Amino acid sequence: MHILLVDDETEFLELMTKRLDRRNFQVSTAANGADALKLLAGTPVDVVVLDVRMPGMDGIETLKHIKKLTPATEVILLTGHANMEVALEGMTQGAFDYLLKPVAINDLIFKIQDAAKKSGKTT
Amino acid sequence: MAGFFRALGKLFGGSKPEPASPAELEALRAAYRARCESFRRLLAANNAALDVMASMEEALRGLKPFGMTFVRGQCARVAANVFQIVRQLSLLTSGRFDALYDKLKEIQARIAPHLAPRSGQVRGPLVLALEQAGVDLADEVGGKVASLGEVARRLGRRIPPGFAITASGYQRFMAAADLQPEIDRRIQAADASRLDEVFALSSALRSLILAAALPQDLEEAILASYRDLEARTGPGVRVALRSSAIGEDALGASFAGQYHTELNVPAEEVLSTYKEIVASKYGVTAMTYRLTRGIPDEDVAMCVGCMAMVGALAGGVAYSRDPLDIRAGRVVINAVAGLPKAVVDGSFDPDVFVVERGEPMVLTRSEIAAKPRKYVCDPVEGIALVEVPEDEAQAPSLSEAQALEVAALARDLEEFYGLPQDMEFALAPDGGVVLLQSRPLHQTEAAQAAAQDGPAGPDVLVSGGTTASPGVGCGPVCVVKKDADALSFPQGAVLVAAQAHPRWAPLLSRAAAVVCEAGSAAGHLANVAREYGVPALLGVSGALERLAGAGDVTVDADNRRVHAGRVEALLENRPAPRNLMEGSPVHAALTAACEHIVPLHLINPDAPEFAPGHCRTLHDITRFCHELSVREMYLAGNDGLEGFSKQLTSGKSKLKYWVIDLEDGFKEQVAGRFVDIGQIASGPMLALWRGMVAVPWAGPPAADAKGFLSVVAGAACNPELDPTMATTFAVKNYFMISKEFCNLQSRFGFHFCTVEAQAGDDPQENYVSFQFKGGAADLSRRVRRARLVAELLEERDFRVEVREDALFARLEGFDKAATLDRVAVLGYVVIHTRQLDMAMANDGLIASLRDKMDKDIEMLICRK
Repeated sequence: MHILLVDDETEFLELMTKRLDRRNFQVSTAANGADALKLLAGTPVDVVVLDVRMPGMDGIETLKHIKKLTPATEVILLTGHANMEVALEGMTQGAFDYLLKPVAINDLIFKIQDAAKKSGKTT
Repeated sequence: MAGFFRALGKLFGGSKPEPASPAELEALRAAYRARCESFRRLLAANNAALDVMASMEEALRGLKPFGMTFVRGQCARVAANVFQIVRQLSLLTSGRFDALYDKLKEIQARIAPHLAPRSGQVRGPLVLALEQAGVDLADEVGGKVASLGEVARRLGRRIPPGFAITASGYQRFMAAADLQPEIDRRIQAADASRLDEVFALSSALRSLILAAALPQDLEEAILASYRDLEARTGPGVRVALRSSAIGEDALGASFAGQYHTELNVPAEEVLSTYKEIVASKYGVTAMTYRLTRGIPDEDVAMCVGCMAMVGALAGGVAYSRDPLDIRAGRVVINAVAGLPKAVVDGSFDPDVFVVERGEPMVLTRSEIAAKPRKYVCDPVEGIALVEVPEDEAQAPSLSEAQALEVAALARDLEEFYGLPQDMEFALAPDGGVVLLQSRPLHQTEAAQAAAQDGPAGPDVLVSGGTTASPGVGCGPVCVVKKDADALSFPQGAVLVAAQAHPRWAPLLSRAAAVVCEAGSAAGHLANVAREYGVPALLGVSGALERLAGAGDVTVDADNRRVHAGRVEALLENRPAPRNLMEGSPVHAALTAACEHIVPLHLINPDAPEFAPGHCRTLHDITRFCHELSVREMYLAGNDGLEGFSKQLTSGKSKLKYWVIDLEDGFKEQVAGRFVDIGQIASGPMLALWRGMVAVPWAGPPAADAKGFLSVVAGAACNPELDPTMATTFAVKNYFMISKEFCNLQSRFGFHFCTVEAQAGDDPQENYVSFQFKGGAADLSRRVRRARLVAELLEERDFRVEVREDALFARLEGFDKAATLDRVAVLGYVVIHTRQLDMAMANDGLIASLRDKMDKDIEMLICRK
């Protein structure tokens, strides 16, 4: 299964890549929304784990583009900035779910697996 | 969806006999699976939402401190989950209830104002001269600087010349560096209940602020003000920078978090020192203080007072009233030679002067301490602690005339403000008294006349010292010498330290009492102890040596004694611990948000009010969707089908269980409305079943009469619990299964539970989760039952959380056999904890029940 992690925090990307690698996921990363869209245009991705607050294009904007570009790709929002309004906006725009950092790695993996099931990939 | 049901009717032998094509069959199976998936996701979101609501309810009771990040986080979580629930119900019902999306948005809009930061953007000057600052500008310069400016402006008293860097200046800094969002993010990521994380967070936040650049306009404004100050006092004048925070006095909490004060700062370090003081907003003491008092982080703006340094001959703190007995007409002064710093941070014992009010005022008591060291200004180090000659060490820090002058100033300030004051002063080289800061005194009820002199009572370990905060506290001794000791400070321990150092203040929300060898009632630690209502005894010589390793002790601060062990007679009349969150802005925000989240109005599913239009809270929406989804999945379909479910049978008996096969949960194709337990292929369902039937249920344990009454009373208050009410849902239990998966939703009697398990060959994917809530007895019995079950499960490797009467247990990563065993344990628990709450008043009964359950469960695991 191919996962794309989008976050402007490089430490977070490194840590998550390491952990997900260990669970045999294929992981790509992008540090901002624009890079994420570029990557998605060329590579099929099952699940995107997307930060909400990023410099440049924010997570909600990126989410809208992803849903236009590849509607079958499931997007999980994962943010350090809890905001009820943004949570509902993200869900309305078609996010698979909205999670807050810090997230237990197992919880995130269950969520990714569930999202993948929906996007049609099971393992 | 009607088309889907018609097609399904065809498939499962409905009215039309012609067979479906393979393509049609495949499409049907896919649609069926999708519906099952939706239902499963709805249930998962339902459980997550209820879990968040339970944690919010628990937080409201105020036993553990929480910040706005908690409130915002839980609101966002619950909203996302409720959205998920509505979305899945929409998929299940072809959008029949999409009005719920608007309901959800409406409720969110009602909650939003309670979550917004209160402090708007201030657009005032970045700096202000001290004599321009007055109480009318408290929002710009903070309480401390405002009252200082007011005293100079209106009373004409002497204060050091200087200026204030305002709240607008602070916000300009934070905005220019875009700091606040990053700060919020880091606070959200840390676990505030763990001191080691708070220490790490504090250090990260302070570095973040120190590393940020000051915007140029602010920098220029500060330097211009400094040049003005030089023009008035002398070139290269040294300054003291003091925090003056805004937003912490919301509670009438007079003594706010302790911040950095930097003395004797040279010109070239003014800017960097300003940043340090701003950063001290995130000192451990200050952060813990805000958290325990429910003060929103972003409401606090750090203003900084910058004043010409007073090279003090002596200084200290004066209280216009005795802080331990506010009604007595005394002014109490704590003073030392040199700078007043030693009094504030409790580093050594000060002289104490007591002045009786009246005309004229009279110095009635002078306790002169030995003060072998003093703080002085040092051109290189800023501030230095120097040794003093023997004769000087014994000399009083203030003459009688000076003590009376200080007392008169304290009295005048109280009169001016109409409130008892706590002021810091210095004696200038010319002998005049200079006011450094003044704030309302934190009032404590007079140490209850409890000071029953008389026999010392059992085993007095140490006695003497000063009552810095009244009361009696009991707990194990924990000696604290360095920060590392603080990290492991246990809840409810008695804090024992050499000095009453402010850096121990974060421990006070956990401490039962405080005993220090040095320190005075005027120090920061004493202030916080009084505010938190923690008994404190300071200046107890030999405490460290005699208390270390003493185990449980009882600290009687009123009588200035520490007893070995627990002395019930002293503890009896102890007031309940203060709920520090109650009435705080953070608590108020959570309360207001919860009003739109937690209460459940949709109680009777058969009532006409059970409709989207009547949903007033997120709980209502959750409840409505759950009920409707269950109807959709299990009850009669649109055209007379029995939904998707089959009733479970065991041989000839029909059971009150219904089963949905998600994929491959049956051994063979099963036609008709029933499925026998022998046809089930689902590993976790069979394991669960094994646990459920292993030991016949003996019926509810013999409840005591009170237990029965409690159930009746509980049922009377909650129509949902009335057993005679025919809700369609009351008697059914639902399994959703595949070969490796099982989800059981059940309502046994009065309680509601969910078991979900995945048990396959890959341990990484295996998990078991269990959730239950409710019951008919009163809350305390239900809570005890939840704890009993928690213990049973914890011993079998579950991670368990109990919130009020709700229990959440989870386990993952075990191999298939071990996972299935745990599922069987849950099967047993589900059956045998039924109505246990009725017997939960009796400790003896609990113990014997526990024993029996333990044995049964062991048998279950061994029997595989």
